[in-house]
Formats: sequence, C-alpha cells, structure tokens
Amino acid sequence: MPELIATGEDTRIYECAILTTYPLPQKDEAALVKEVEGYFEEVGAKLVSKDAWGRRGLAYPIKGIKEANITIYYYEMDPLKLKEVDQSLKIAKGVLRHLFVKPPKHYQVVKYSDAYEQWLKERESVDQKRTREKQAALEEKVAAKARRKVQMKSTEKKAEPKAVEKMSGEEVTKSIDKLITDDLDSL
Amino acid sequence: MAQQQKSSQRRSDPRLKKCPFCTAGGGAKYIDYKDYPTIKPFVDYFGNIMKRYYTGVCLKHQKMLRTAIERARFLAFLAYRK
Repeated sequence: MPELIATGEDTRIYECAILTTYPLPQKDEAALVKEVEGYFEEVGAKLVSKDAWGRRGLAYPIKGIKEANITIYYYEMDPLKLKEVDQSLKIAKGVLRHLFVKPPKHYQVVKYSDAYEQWLKERESVDQKRTREKQAALEEKVAAKARRKVQMKSTEKKAEPKAVEKMSGEEVTKSIDKLITDDLDSL
Repeated sequence: MAQQQKSSQRRSDPRLKKCPFCTAGGGAKYIDYKDYPTIKPFVDYFGNIMKRYYTGVCLKHQKMLRTAIERARFLAFLAYRK
C-alpha cells in the first residue's frame, strides 16, 4: 500500500471525505464530481489517491436525505489554500458534508473494498475464535475435574501405606532392637 | 467449595483488564474514523461512548478513540443518539 509523503516543501497531504447526495441523475453526478475536483484543481492541489466508497446508508438523515455517495480524496496542497477549498465546498450544492483530516505519519491508504474483504475474512475467524474459546473452557473444566479426582486418589493412597506400616509390628521391633544394640556399642 | 462459589459471583477486578489497542500489534498509533468495525464495540446501544472503566482502554487510546468517534458521527457513519 502506498505511504503518504509530501513531495514539496510548502505542501502537505490532506485527507478529504466528501458526502454527496445519492439519488441524482447520472449526468448531475458526473458534473458534481467534476465540480468538487475543480475546487481542488483551482488551488493547484495534486491528487494522490482517490477512494470511492459508493452509495452508503447514513446513520441519521442529513437534510432529509438517508443515503449518500461517499468519496475519500487524498490531496497534496498548500495549507494556506485549504480555507478556500473548505469555503467553496461549504457553498457547493450537492455536498452534504465534508471533512478535512491531516493523516498521521506513516499512514497507509487502504481502499474501502480491500478493508471490507479483509474484515469479512477476519469476521469468520472471530466466530471460530468464539467456538475455540468455548472448547478451551470446556477442556479446562474437564481437566480440573480430573485433577480433583487424582488428588482424592492420592490422599487415599497416602492414608493406606501408613496403615501397612503400623500393621508390620515385628519389623518395627527388630529395627528398635538394632538401634538399641548400636547405642550400646557406641557407648 | 464455598470459597469457589464466592469467587465466581464476584466481579472481575477492573484493573486486570488490558487495553485492546495496546495489546494488538504493539500499540495502535492512530485510530481511523473510517474503520467502522474497530470503533463500533466502543459505542453502546444509545450511541454513547463507553466508559474506560468498562472497556479497559488506556487513557491515550481513549482520547484517540474519542476523536475518531466524533469524526465518524459528523460524517454520519455513526449515530449521535439512538
């Protein structure tokens, strides 16, 4: 993906999002695009890249319009002339909203269609993740149960050998005898 | 067993939550207002920005998120109010 780097000294790259009214005859639509691009050309801006999102529903109606054509331009231009473009876009008839943003350093332009495709792929993986997490939780539960069982068994086992030691009284007496004899020898 | 039941009923410690923007890919430097799927989970049903306490976002990224959401609202990608 192309990285945005301004070529001139006095110029800067701006990202401009423009919403235009959607239900328009094709002729008018083409004219509107020309008009908008004309404002930038008047000022001597250079088009770096353009991303047309196309028709999209709006989250809330603007001037009673519920759908808009969205395009995002990346223009390299003089910061002093930004105001002129801003003013003319405000006055332009077909433009519902526009927003200028200075993209941050090392900003990479990603086309909307590509981003959408990637999102579709990732979305599937999100579902898989959920199932994986569920499975992991289940396995953990089973493992915890098994561990508890093992613990119970081990405690039982520990209890048993002690009893065996107690039972073998003869061996104990023998060992005691040995100890006593050792003590006598040492004395 | 009684202790286990108590711990399951208790809410998890909010300090243990980690910032989703810091953890993914070594920290996000910029949150894009055009990126709907990343912004969306931080806006509640009514269109309000979620509090940091609930989402676990760090202050630096919460500020970035706020500007991104406000820009998205202006361009009608997100609703101001449901």
